[in-house]
Amino acid sequence: MTRVSRWGAALGVAGLVLAAGCAKGTTPGASGDAGGDIDQNAPVTITIGDRPTPDKPNDLKAFNQKIADFTAKNPNITVKSTETSWQAQTFQAQVAGGTLPTVMNISFTEPANMIPNKQLPDITDELKMVDLTKDLNPNVLKIVQDANGRIYGVPIDVFSVGIAYNRKLFSEAGLDPDKPPTTWDEVRQYAKQIHDKTGKAGYSQLTTNNTGGWMLTTMTYSMGGTVESADGKKSTFNDAPTKKALQLLKDMRWTDNSMGSRFLYNQEEVRQDFAAGKIGMVLQAPDAYDMSVKQFGMKPADFGEGALPQDGGPYGTLTGGSLKMISPKATKNEIVAALKWIKFDQFDKYTTESVAVQDAKTTIADKGFVGRPGISPLSQSTYDQFNKWREPYVNVPVKQFQGYIDSTTSLKLLPEPSNKGQEVYSLLDPVVQQVLTKKDADIDKLLSDTASKIDARLAR
Amino acid sequence: MFQQRTQKSGRSVATWYRSGGLSSIFFALPLVLIFLYFSWGPIVRGLVLSFQKNNLVLPAEWVGWSNFSYVLTDPQLPQAALNTLYFAFLALIFGFPVPLFLAVFISELRKTGWLYNVLSYLPAVVPPVAAILLWTFFYDPSGAGVFNSILGWFGIGPFAWLNSQTLAMPAIVLEATWAGAGATSIIYLAALTGVRTELYEAAELDGAGIWSRVWHVTLPQIRGIILIMMLLQLIGTFQVFTEPFLFTGGGPNNATMTVLLLIYRYAFVNGDFGAATALSVLLAVVLCALSVVYHFVTRRWSTT
Repeated sequence: MTRVSRWGAALGVAGLVLAAGCAKGTTPGASGDAGGDIDQNAPVTITIGDRPTPDKPNDLKAFNQKIADFTAKNPNITVKSTETSWQAQTFQAQVAGGTLPTVMNISFTEPANMIPNKQLPDITDELKMVDLTKDLNPNVLKIVQDANGRIYGVPIDVFSVGIAYNRKLFSEAGLDPDKPPTTWDEVRQYAKQIHDKTGKAGYSQLTTNNTGGWMLTTMTYSMGGTVESADGKKSTFNDAPTKKALQLLKDMRWTDNSMGSRFLYNQEEVRQDFAAGKIGMVLQAPDAYDMSVKQFGMKPADFGEGALPQDGGPYGTLTGGSLKMISPKATKNEIVAALKWIKFDQFDKYTTESVAVQDAKTTIADKGFVGRPGISPLSQSTYDQFNKWREPYVNVPVKQFQGYIDSTTSLKLLPEPSNKGQEVYSLLDPVVQQVLTKKDADIDKLLSDTASKIDARLAR
Repeated sequence: MFQQRTQKSGRSVATWYRSGGLSSIFFALPLVLIFLYFSWGPIVRGLVLSFQKNNLVLPAEWVGWSNFSYVLTDPQLPQAALNTLYFAFLALIFGFPVPLFLAVFISELRKTGWLYNVLSYLPAVVPPVAAILLWTFFYDPSGAGVFNSILGWFGIGPFAWLNSQTLAMPAIVLEATWAGAGATSIIYLAALTGVRTELYEAAELDGAGIWSRVWHVTLPQIRGIILIMMLLQLIGTFQVFTEPFLFTGGGPNNATMTVLLLIYRYAFVNGDFGAATALSVLLAVVLCALSVVYHFVTRRWSTT
């Protein structure tokens, strides 16, 4: 007994020392440049995130089939997969914990902070190697570029903010459901009409979990303003456009009383109430359609999407979307393999008819949506060709997005604040909340106070 | 004297060794090391992190006290601290007596006590996220919301609840009290079973009614537990996070922004782990100091 326990103890100690040693070995340090020369044929293993969950059997089957096809074509690449996917709340912890797969989808909000933090690898040269750069839409590519034009990710899904509206409420209020508002004056007028005729909130605003700042930034853009200086060192929102945006919200809230009674909304909550027919209009990208219909049971016939309303302008709209990121720990060989996968997985469908059709079929089989408008991550002609192939499978009422579709060519795509975007948003949240919940909120003072707070952060 | 002692200790070391003391150390060592590594390791790591500029990807950089001066001069900190104090204060005023009252009440019910026991503990079984979703529904600010409808029958309201700067915090405390009372009252109930029945009998013989028995027998007898629970509650309320995070995200107008929410934002919104751990360390220091002060202030009333 004593002998055994002594050995056990010794083993335990050894194990612990080993564990500590390993922990030290994997402590994230200077990484990303590891790898050296690229050998495209060397055996390499990559891990792919965003594997469909078992409740989507068709997606999962297609995903596994895709991996099999890919590895058949690239026998030197071994592909593993995980269900890891991007969540705003846990993502930084995953980055910090070093548990990211080699490739996964992340939101457009991330690269602006991750690039300067060296949390994304520079993949410019490798992109050229797999012949992907020339396909990408240069406007969209700006999201993943630094000041020198180096590229740190591959945009795959792009949309800009527009205004989602409930067509049924429009009809009930005596408005034409095919004519969404295009100016902020119209928004105010329509909101009042909807509220007066139907008793529902004519217009609602996102306000919590950084979405308040996000949407205030969008409104500021639509009024011709900016939020940060070009170098990201100073705030620029303490001027006319943002004041105008806040004044408009204040008027709708307190003068017209057309914004209902709920003023703490995050994205999911606002979509839920919108789908339930409690909101007439709300700023949303067209992807709001998916959640509103699939998750919250909105009738497709009730959903409409117009252009982001402008004031004066046209100035532009804020872009969002997702991109494929590559782990900062990936070696050069892994980066090349990952990009080959991304090309195979995301871009072949744009250039090969059979892949495009198959993709549409799988999506429909899993109750997904084909043909929901967005912005092309590729050149417009490629995108048009792709949409043509998929036309017979479209199951989204595209006509109801006409206002938005028109705006994709007329409105400039403006990126989010380049420095500490999420931080700036989080400090702007209370500004919007105050205007909506405090009748005597002093917009000038709010903005100058917040500007000084944000400038201190930007300088850190 | 001195010599004698060293001699004695020398001999005792030898005896200790011969009687197998070394193997008992080997036996205990893994456990102690595991405890140190997993239980105290993170604390030490946190301390180290608070002096670093570190996003856990780039190599860490020592920055001395700059994280501390940064969080201490953050204009959001005073408000977050005040909000946290306000939450603790409200929880003490409303939340503290409720479980005590519940426990005394249940213990007086000899036959159906178990039923009330179950009923009072049930909220603690509901997962916090589900409970908060449910209460968000109750707190719907429109006239058709559950609470507003009920109050509407009496011609009161509608209130904006979570959408109001003044009502948001009390509303959160109300939910937290509902969620926490059951678990706390179970502990009081356990303490109450330890009160000797002779005391009640004696009190009854002296003609004491139920209130006077509670006041003169029950409360003094479980005073020790009450004091401990109060300290635990204080520490707990200073670390409130889930409720404001899920109910309001810190709003409206930062009215429910707590210190822990601020820490969370530093870490997971800003990716600034240095600032986050610095503020955590400061919070821990404050709580330690609070506990010490509490100990000395309440020592006089304590039963032991």
